[in-house]
Amino acid sequence: MNYFAGLDIGSTAIKVALVDEGGRLAGVHVTESGSLFHKNAKEALRMLLERHGVDREQVKYLIATGYGRKLFKEADDSISEITANAIGAHEAGRAFGGVRTIINIGGQDSKAIQLDDQGNVANFAMNDKCAAGTGRFLDVAARNLNIDLEELGDYHFNGKGAPLTINSTCTVFAESEIIGLLANGHGKEEIVAGIHYSIAKRTVRLAKRVGIEDRVYFDGGPALNKGLVAAIQDELQRELVVPEHPQTTTAFGAAILARNEFFAESD
Amino acid sequence: MNASPTPEVPAFQRSRQARESEITLDHITDDFDGNPAAMQYFYDLFRRVFIQGEALPHEGKLIGTTCIQAPDELIYAVGATPVRLCNGSYHYDQIGADFMPAKSCALVKATLGMLHSATRIPKTARPDLIVNPTTCDQKKKSSAMIEGMGYAVYDLEMPNVKESEEARLYWQRSVRQFAHKLREVTGKKLTRQNLKKAIAKTSRAQAAFRQLHNFRKSSPAVILGKDVFLITNAFFFDDIDRWSDAVEKLNAELTQRQAEGFKAAQRKAPRILFTGSPPVFPNLKLPVLIEEAGGVVVADETCSANRMLYDMTAVDEWLVNDMVDSLADKYLKPCTCPIFARNDDRKRRLLDLVASFEADGVVYQALAGCQVYEMEQKSIAEALNAQGIPMLYVETDYSPDDQGQLSTRIEAFLESIKTRKRKAAA
Repeated sequence: MNYFAGLDIGSTAIKVALVDEGGRLAGVHVTESGSLFHKNAKEALRMLLERHGVDREQVKYLIATGYGRKLFKEADDSISEITANAIGAHEAGRAFGGVRTIINIGGQDSKAIQLDDQGNVANFAMNDKCAAGTGRFLDVAARNLNIDLEELGDYHFNGKGAPLTINSTCTVFAESEIIGLLANGHGKEEIVAGIHYSIAKRTVRLAKRVGIEDRVYFDGGPALNKGLVAAIQDELQRELVVPEHPQTTTAFGAAILARNEFFAESD
Repeated sequence: MNASPTPEVPAFQRSRQARESEITLDHITDDFDGNPAAMQYFYDLFRRVFIQGEALPHEGKLIGTTCIQAPDELIYAVGATPVRLCNGSYHYDQIGADFMPAKSCALVKATLGMLHSATRIPKTARPDLIVNPTTCDQKKKSSAMIEGMGYAVYDLEMPNVKESEEARLYWQRSVRQFAHKLREVTGKKLTRQNLKKAIAKTSRAQAAFRQLHNFRKSSPAVILGKDVFLITNAFFFDDIDRWSDAVEKLNAELTQRQAEGFKAAQRKAPRILFTGSPPVFPNLKLPVLIEEAGGVVVADETCSANRMLYDMTAVDEWLVNDMVDSLADKYLKPCTCPIFARNDDRKRRLLDLVASFEADGVVYQALAGCQVYEMEQKSIAEALNAQGIPMLYVETDYSPDDQGQLSTRIEAFLESIKTRKRKAAA
C-alpha cells in the first residue's frame, strides 16, 4: 500500500498527516516545533509512520507547508499553508455538507479564506504582522492568569458575570490590562471570556474582509478551545464547523495534494 | 589602542544603512539567473552609492524634490540638478520617528531621518533648495520640520482636486511661481531655449523608459520587475544622460533577447501588476518577494516607476509662459496619486494596464500609515474584482521582520492565480 504525507511546520507546532491511495486519512501526529524544528519535523514523521507500521519507502510523495516549508529539503515539494488549508478544509468539510469560508487561528497568525464551489482559494486575508488575536495571545493570557491553556474553555463557561472587555488588541498591552483586571479583583472566568470575545471580534472582522459564506470552518490549535468557538459563533451569528482534528487540517490538505500530485505525475 | 577598521572595509560599509542596501542588492543580483548584462551598470551604481558611500556630483545648484510633481524640466532649464529625496531605508525610518507620530508613513519618516542625518545616503551636497509639493498631510507637515533642520524649503502648492478648471489654473500659477523661485535661487532666467533643451533631456529619458516598459508586455517576460524598479530608483539620483545611455543599452539587449526567445521567467509564471505606495530602494521587499516566489511583475502603477516616467512631455507652445502652463498640465492631468479627492483615473489606468500587459493579478502595497493608499484600497479592489481580476492587499513598512508572513501570502496568491488559470483552461 502506498501512502502520502503532508507536513505542516508551524511556528508553534509541527503537524503530520498521512493519507492512503484513496485519499483517506490514515493518521495524524502533532508535536511542538521547538527551536530545532527541522529535527523535530523528521522525528514527527518517523513517529507517525512507526505508529501505523508504515515504512518510509511506502510514502511516495511528501509535501511540506507552514513557516518551515522551504527548509525541509526531504519534501518533494512545498506549498503555502493557505492553499493547503483550503484543500484540507474542502475535503474534510464534505462530511459537514461542504464549507465555503475558513477561519484559521495559528500560533502566530490568523487567516480567513474564502473558497469557490470547487474548493479553490477565491480570496483570503491574514492579520498584519502582529500576534494580536492569535494562539500566542491565548498563551500569554493563560500564563498571566496562571491557568493551563486547556482549561480556558472551562473557565469561559463558568463565569457568573458578563465577559469583561479587553480593549487592547496588542498582546503586550493586553497583558498589562489583564494584570490590571486581576488587581481590581475581577474573576478569572470573566477575564477569560473577555479575552475570547476580544479575539473573536478581531477574527470576525478579518473574515468579513474576505466575505462570509456558509458553512464556516474553524481550524488551527485554538479551535480546540470551546470557549473561543462559542465566542466566535456569537460574534459571527452563525454556527461554526469544527473538525475532529482542527490542528491538522492544513497537514491533511498537503497530504491530499501530495497524493494528487503523485498520480498526476505518474500519468 | 582601539582596533581601527581594516583598510579593505571602510567604516561606512559596516553601517546599518550600508548593510541594509547590501542585503537588498544581493537578493536582486544573486537570487535570480540570467540577469541582463546591461543591468551591471545599475548594480554597480547602487553598490558604489549605497554601500561604498560614494559622493554624487551635480551641476549648478542642487534642488531636492520630495515628489514627482516637482517638474524636473524647470530645474534642468535653469542649469540646476534635481535629486529626488524620497527614501526607502529602515535605518532612516527609525531616525525619522523622532519627528513624526509612530504610526506615520515609513517613506516620509525615512526621508526626514535621512535629511536629519549627518551621513546622508545617497551622499549628495546639501541641497540649495528642497521643493516639497503639498500632497498628503504627512508630506505637507514635513516642510516645517525640514526647514527646522536648516534647509531652504519651498512648498509647491497642489490642488485637492484635478478635474476642475479652477484646479488647473491654480496649479498653473503654482508652477509659474516655482519657476520664479528657481530663478531666485539660481540667478538664471527661464527661456524658451533652455526649457526646450531641458525638455529634450527629460524626453529622452522618458522615451527610453517607455521602450523598456513596452518590453514588459512580452510573454514569457524578458526582464523582471525587480530590475525595472532598480532602474527607476536610479533615476532619483543618477546623472540623467548617463541614466538614459544605460537604459538605451539595456533596451538594445532586450531587443536581442526578444528575438532569441529568452525567458526571464517561466512561461506560466503569474503576471503581476504592482500598485500602491512606491517601492523605494532599499525597500524593494515586496517586488523581490513576488519574483522569488515565481511570479513576475510585468507593470506597475507607482510614483517610483511608471507614474514618474511614463508620460512624455510634448510642449509645442511658442512663448515660454505658455510652455510652462502646458508643462503644468502634463503634470496634473495624468497624475493618479490618491491625494486627490476623486481618483477614478487610477482605476481606469489599472484596468488598462491589466489588459495591455496581460496581468493575472494585482498586488497593492500600502505602507502602514500612508492613509490615502490605505483608503483607496477598497474601491480599487472592488473595481478590479468586478472585472474578475484578483488583488492582494498588503500593508507593510520598511522593517524586514514581516518577510516570512508576506512570502506566505504572496505564494498563496500566486498559487490561487495558477489554479484559476488551470481551471479557465480546462
